[in-house]
Amino acid sequence: MSIDTTQQPATEGDPAEQPAAAPATKRLNTAKAMVEAIAREMERDEDVFVLGEDVGAYGGIFSSTTGLLDRFGPERVMDTPISETGFIGAAIGAATEGMRPIVELMFVDFFGVCMDQIYNHMAKIHFESGGNVKVPMVLMTAVGGGYSDGAQHSQCLWGTFAHLPGMKVVVPSNPADAAGLMTAAIRDDNPVVFMFHKGIQGLPWMAKNKRSIGPVPTGDHVVEIGKAATARPGSDVTVVTLSLSVHHALDVAEELAADGTADVEVIDLRSIVPLDTEAIIESVTRTGHLVIVDEDYQSFGLSGEIAARIAEHDPTILKAPISRVAVPDVPIPYARPLEYTALPTPARIKEAIIGQVAPA
Amino acid sequence: MSSRIDAAVQRDLYDQMVLIRTYEEAILREYHADKKPAFDIGAGLIPGEMHLAAGQEPVAAGVCAHLSRGDAVTATHRPHHFAIAHGVDLNRMTAEIFGRVDGLGRGRGGHMHLFDPDAHFSCSGIIAEGYPPAAGQALAFKKRGTDRVAVAVTGEGAANQGAFHETLNLAALWKLPVIFVVEDNDWGISVPRSASTSVANNAERAAAYGIPGVRVEDNAVEAVHEAAREAVERARNGGGPTLIEVHTLRLWGHFEGDAQGYRADLEGVPGKDPIPTYEAALREAGILDDAAVAITRRAASDTVESAIAFAKASPEPDPSTVRDYVFA
Amino acid sequence: MTDVVFPVISQSDPDAEGTLATWFAEDGAVVAEGDLLAEVAVDKVDMEVVAPVAGTITLIEDEGAVLRAGALIATID
Repeated sequence: MSIDTTQQPATEGDPAEQPAAAPATKRLNTAKAMVEAIAREMERDEDVFVLGEDVGAYGGIFSSTTGLLDRFGPERVMDTPISETGFIGAAIGAATEGMRPIVELMFVDFFGVCMDQIYNHMAKIHFESGGNVKVPMVLMTAVGGGYSDGAQHSQCLWGTFAHLPGMKVVVPSNPADAAGLMTAAIRDDNPVVFMFHKGIQGLPWMAKNKRSIGPVPTGDHVVEIGKAATARPGSDVTVVTLSLSVHHALDVAEELAADGTADVEVIDLRSIVPLDTEAIIESVTRTGHLVIVDEDYQSFGLSGEIAARIAEHDPTILKAPISRVAVPDVPIPYARPLEYTALPTPARIKEAIIGQVAPA
Repeated sequence: MSSRIDAAVQRDLYDQMVLIRTYEEAILREYHADKKPAFDIGAGLIPGEMHLAAGQEPVAAGVCAHLSRGDAVTATHRPHHFAIAHGVDLNRMTAEIFGRVDGLGRGRGGHMHLFDPDAHFSCSGIIAEGYPPAAGQALAFKKRGTDRVAVAVTGEGAANQGAFHETLNLAALWKLPVIFVVEDNDWGISVPRSASTSVANNAERAAAYGIPGVRVEDNAVEAVHEAAREAVERARNGGGPTLIEVHTLRLWGHFEGDAQGYRADLEGVPGKDPIPTYEAALREAGILDDAAVAITRRAASDTVESAIAFAKASPEPDPSTVRDYVFA
Repeated sequence: MTDVVFPVISQSDPDAEGTLATWFAEDGAVVAEGDLLAEVAVDKVDMEVVAPVAGTITLIEDEGAVLRAGALIATID
């Protein structure tokens, strides 16, 4: 498990006296960080190419490919028809022939129209061939709600993808991890589902958390798939979470530290497949208290999986029952008051943490 | 019978079809041998579903005659004829069908999931879903500036699945070097084409995507050979995709164990077997005689029995390796 | 001292109001010429603002500020 440093020192120096050294990091939003990682890998390896709906001139609906068309041209940044089965399947075929496609599923909610290619082909070809055929591709997709896009455009669904064997699933929460995980995903010889929350992209046209902008290491930067990060060390309660919820958990942790209520440890999962079970167990063993914050549906998914792994390991490490802050088993409503009741908001996270440290 | 085709090629086509039939008959034998007295699908050395291609040999032989090893073929749940015709390693293919560690997939895939990357051969058990990856292979070939082609095979039932239509559009739009082959054997499982498909034949549907569509009406290997020659040439020369539909014959059931009670024409089926018909034609042309036929049959039998022996000699996978090969 | 101004985004309506959506540069940071400083938006058109020169940047306007083309948003010494 790695300790995440959210700040790296900027290069100091009087500009009048010495030339400024190249900074170790630069500040980007998550969208630009992803794009730069893709661009670096496309420069490095001509087998990498991008395809999907509106990835060309538009730059991706959530700015996942902005500028790539100008840099690399239409042969390597390909707009597709609205044919997810067709073009995701084509990415699979190209990958089996040694290319390294990055294919975008515009909204994860659209997986219904192409899931066969994803879970029966992309995820199984390596296994069915006894390891003889590799599928080195990235399936990137936008997830998450909070801006009133309704039930068919606001889901996270990582639990669904994680449940099906044969594909890695990564879910960055911040720009540096987005860049590092994208690089790792492109270089991985396995299919990697890269799920980015629209709310962490730092888009000008969507409300954003301040942590959507952050320092991204320049140069070769890889975040190992399967390793969680400690976003905030603490001693009273472990909050295990991912994606946008990391930011909410950190906001709540700062608030509760300021008024002395609790010292909260926030674990940012970063990957779900493989899941860093060790990191979770290590933290909960120390704190004895666990809150899982998961913007996916509550039942039969990620939060239940984490709870099961604790119970299988040793339920006596818990000093109190686990709290889950997830989307209840309802389609995500359109009306804002309803949507914000369903989502795992900072208020719900705070209530769960307080419930852990001051039981009735 | 075409006079354009060399006698040597005609002989090859015949030999190929005999090899395929000999193989399918041997697998039929092995599959049923230990499922008696009552058919138990999960029992025996080859458990599970089995879809054999007897009667459809002309399609595989006619198309694959124009391919080399670098060309790709994606086949269906009924893959053996295309695998054999495209030069897949027969020993390892047979071991895979028997679920042994020396199989193409080390026993992980079975008869519907045969992958031979050296021959760029793959197949899938999901109807029509082999079409998009085939287009992807063609995309890779085109991006790399080669003249290699991909052949994508489905049945006529698959032509009503979304993946079929998406792929035809995409391949036409991007002018991909792919040949779409539809084996119309008249039956989905038990549903005839007339009850599943809104048009008289799928070759007509090609026009909807702006690509050439060819219907080969009789299950004749030379007619397939000629149609495929043109389509493969077109693809290699950058002319984009073609759809070839062959009206072929499913000699046996959809799967082994299929009693075919729904099939009214069952009695007349053996009479339409394409191999005796072609043999008769070649005999009449002086290209085959008793001796030649005997040599072909003997060679086929030797190859097939040797593959089966190879398979049976290979061990079953160790249960402790169940989690292997999920990830590279 | 060099001014950093809100750019013209809409050619058809150069006087249009837009927002300073995101500061990437932090107040007092040393920037190099060409570094990404900010992202601004007019309607749904976004544009990046890059440093015209190297130096130390002082931020004048806050994120979320509604501005017109030409408005001063930062200075670089």
